[in-house]
Amino acid sequence: MTGTLGLLRFMLRRERRGLPWWLLGVALLWLTQSGQSQNLYGTPEDLAELRSTAEGNAAVVVMNGPARLLDSIGGEIVFEMFGFVAVVLALMNIFMVGRQTRGDEETGRAELIRSARVGRRAPLAAALALAGAADLAAGVIVCAVVVATGLPVGSSVLLGAATAVVPATFAALTAVTAQLFESARSVYGSAAALLGGAFALRAAGDAGSGALSWLSPIGWGQRIYPYVADRWWPLLLPLAAIAVLTTMAVALLDRRDFGHGLVAPRPGRPVASAAFSNAYGLAWRLQRTALTGWLAGLVLLGLAYGSMGDSMQQYVDDHPEIAEFLPGGAARVLDSYLALTIALSALIASAYGVSSVLRTRGEETSGHAESVLATRTSRLRWLAGHLSVTLAGTTLALVAIGLGEGVAYALSVSDATQVPRVVGAALAYLPAVWSVAAVGVLAMGWLPRAAAAAGWTVVGYCAIVSLFGDSFDLPGWTRAASPFDHTPQVPLDALDAAPLVVLTLITGALLAAGYAGLRRRDIGY
Amino acid sequence: MNASPEVALRVSALSKSFGRVTALDGLDLTVTTGEVHGFLGPNGSGKTTTIRILLGLLRADSGTVSMLGGDPWRDAVDLHARLAYVPGDVTLWPGVTGGEVIDLLGRMRGRPDRRRRDDLLEMFDLDPSRKARTYSKGNRQKVALIAALASDVELLLLDEPTSGLDPLMESVFQQCIQEVRKQGRTVLLSSHILAEAEALCDRVSIIRRGRTVETGTLAELRHLTRTSITVETRDPITGVETMPGVHDAVLETRHARFDVDTAQLEAVVCRLAPLGVRSLTSTPPTLEEMFLRHYGADPADGGAGGAS
Repeated sequence: MTGTLGLLRFMLRRERRGLPWWLLGVALLWLTQSGQSQNLYGTPEDLAELRSTAEGNAAVVVMNGPARLLDSIGGEIVFEMFGFVAVVLALMNIFMVGRQTRGDEETGRAELIRSARVGRRAPLAAALALAGAADLAAGVIVCAVVVATGLPVGSSVLLGAATAVVPATFAALTAVTAQLFESARSVYGSAAALLGGAFALRAAGDAGSGALSWLSPIGWGQRIYPYVADRWWPLLLPLAAIAVLTTMAVALLDRRDFGHGLVAPRPGRPVASAAFSNAYGLAWRLQRTALTGWLAGLVLLGLAYGSMGDSMQQYVDDHPEIAEFLPGGAARVLDSYLALTIALSALIASAYGVSSVLRTRGEETSGHAESVLATRTSRLRWLAGHLSVTLAGTTLALVAIGLGEGVAYALSVSDATQVPRVVGAALAYLPAVWSVAAVGVLAMGWLPRAAAAAGWTVVGYCAIVSLFGDSFDLPGWTRAASPFDHTPQVPLDALDAAPLVVLTLITGALLAAGYAGLRRRDIGY
Repeated sequence: MNASPEVALRVSALSKSFGRVTALDGLDLTVTTGEVHGFLGPNGSGKTTTIRILLGLLRADSGTVSMLGGDPWRDAVDLHARLAYVPGDVTLWPGVTGGEVIDLLGRMRGRPDRRRRDDLLEMFDLDPSRKARTYSKGNRQKVALIAALASDVELLLLDEPTSGLDPLMESVFQQCIQEVRKQGRTVLLSSHILAEAEALCDRVSIIRRGRTVETGTLAELRHLTRTSITVETRDPITGVETMPGVHDAVLETRHARFDVDTAQLEAVVCRLAPLGVRSLTSTPPTLEEMFLRHYGADPADGGAGGAS
């Protein structure tokens, strides 16, 4: 354990840029949710209505948690937020512990550290202490935020404790997987898969008898029922799990060699498959993992949006005054809701598009492109290989959104024809999403060093225009600069093909211009 | 410029700058077909920039380049079918195995030779089923070398290909290059390992700050530089230290040690002969000495050798 304190200080320093943002994000989530919920469900009648709606809608329970939480307004806020925030904070723990232990070991940095006067267990102890401190901070912050929005102190302390302890379970879990696998990627991957499993168990349990939820740390946290029953004893479960997992991690650490895991890495293919033979095969291989992740996330987001559609209609039926604020009026509440959520998801799809283009630029800066371009692969082919992923990947992203939202929505209203309708509506954004990615390609061609800044600026700009265009009353020309503003808001609006054709042509022109730049410039600078 | 058939590549007055940094400043280089040409210079002297221009990855600011009868920028893809390249800093995709990288690059280059690939894997003792993230620097280097050597091409562009290899693998590499030479293929070998260049190269070009300062066969280069002489005579030695072309003389009555510009060797020997030479050793300069002289502490000494 020698050197733990010094290492902890060093780790805090390395995390100082990322950690505050996680905590700030979590604080903002609770702050907005608490304000919004108290606004919407301020009266016991509203809450009772919500509870009867939620109990009749399995999708809502699956996404959020046990309906019993809806017995009080505080519980309602926990119902909406806790599961989601627990996942976010668990991911923070997984990445932090994985990075500081196996990640450093894999890159060889830990070798340098361990050659100094530092004990074998010190890096693990410091990483867990770091995660514990971050979780404690998250708990205190969440407790303070909800108290500040007017919720009772005693229950809020329980909520804060759950916020700290549940994600910390995943820090301890990552400490174990970090001993098992040699590559940091496998450590993150296995821990994230277990987190997904924990969420799924909780979802299945809450929708059923509740028994399965007791197998999930997220379920434990929700079963404290803050503001409803205020039980403290479920906190013992994650605490016990942390103790067991930490002991296991230390025992495994003591039995393994530095740099090695207990699971030997699977050997890869000694010979490349037939598909891995050109620029296209390479680009898909390099980008498929990231694409799969984005698609999974977008399907989940779509499911979440879609499952709430039906409740949205009921809510507006109960509060007709709200309908005035909806673009489609009371008659078309659901179409307004679908149009809005699809537009928001399409913005995320465009973020994926830009990240895919920047991956292409990353191939160049990392030196990989040099080896490829020194073969018979032309610059056009190299770019086309990666662009095929970007263009097809963004298409798949919109399909994922449409399918998730369409299927969940179709289930909640028992109307299967909604699936193709919602998928079609999502695909209407394809030209807009493509054009944003194409701006990234243009920047990569002419201002390669500024490509990342340019790509993300465009995404951010479109998001601001879409989200705040109305409330900030932005001038018309600022909106006209966003391709999303030219996309008809299907299914609320009729599908008008003309702007979509124009956006596709603009995309083509931007891609051609980007290639023209790439063709004439130095590679790798 | 039309390359004559026996010239594999010719570069003249090549210049390239990146912003305010001048990487190449009028570089000349000629490599004839079938030779192993050493391209020598310290880090940052412009070797890699030159090779990247030859690959059409960078665009020259001025000067002419012709390679295998084509223009590297305009005809990049056609020329790449006829050459193989080993980058100086081999970076591989971390999640892809060594075997897959070798196959991918071979297929992208065209005409992959599976037998040759497997032979090379064995010679270099590389496990092709491991993911690139687990390879050491030397193993990454082997992947790039095998990918290049397994392909049936006319020209090999090797940028410090043996950095990170152990002496055993270094000798395997030298065998492979000797074999390539026997097959009549051309090699441009950038290096700062001079023993390697001396063992392999027919001709060398030494560059400094983006310019070629010496070029020729090792014998020619030696002729232009100094030879170390140790001599013992019957009569006392006088006046040798003041002769033109003699440097760093240490005289002890009947014993002397000095360096002499090779062009002045005859005059010095004539002067020594009447003194009754009892023993004489003459050592031609090693490439290392030539190299150090160009980059040594004394910049006034840095010009092409010969009478000063």
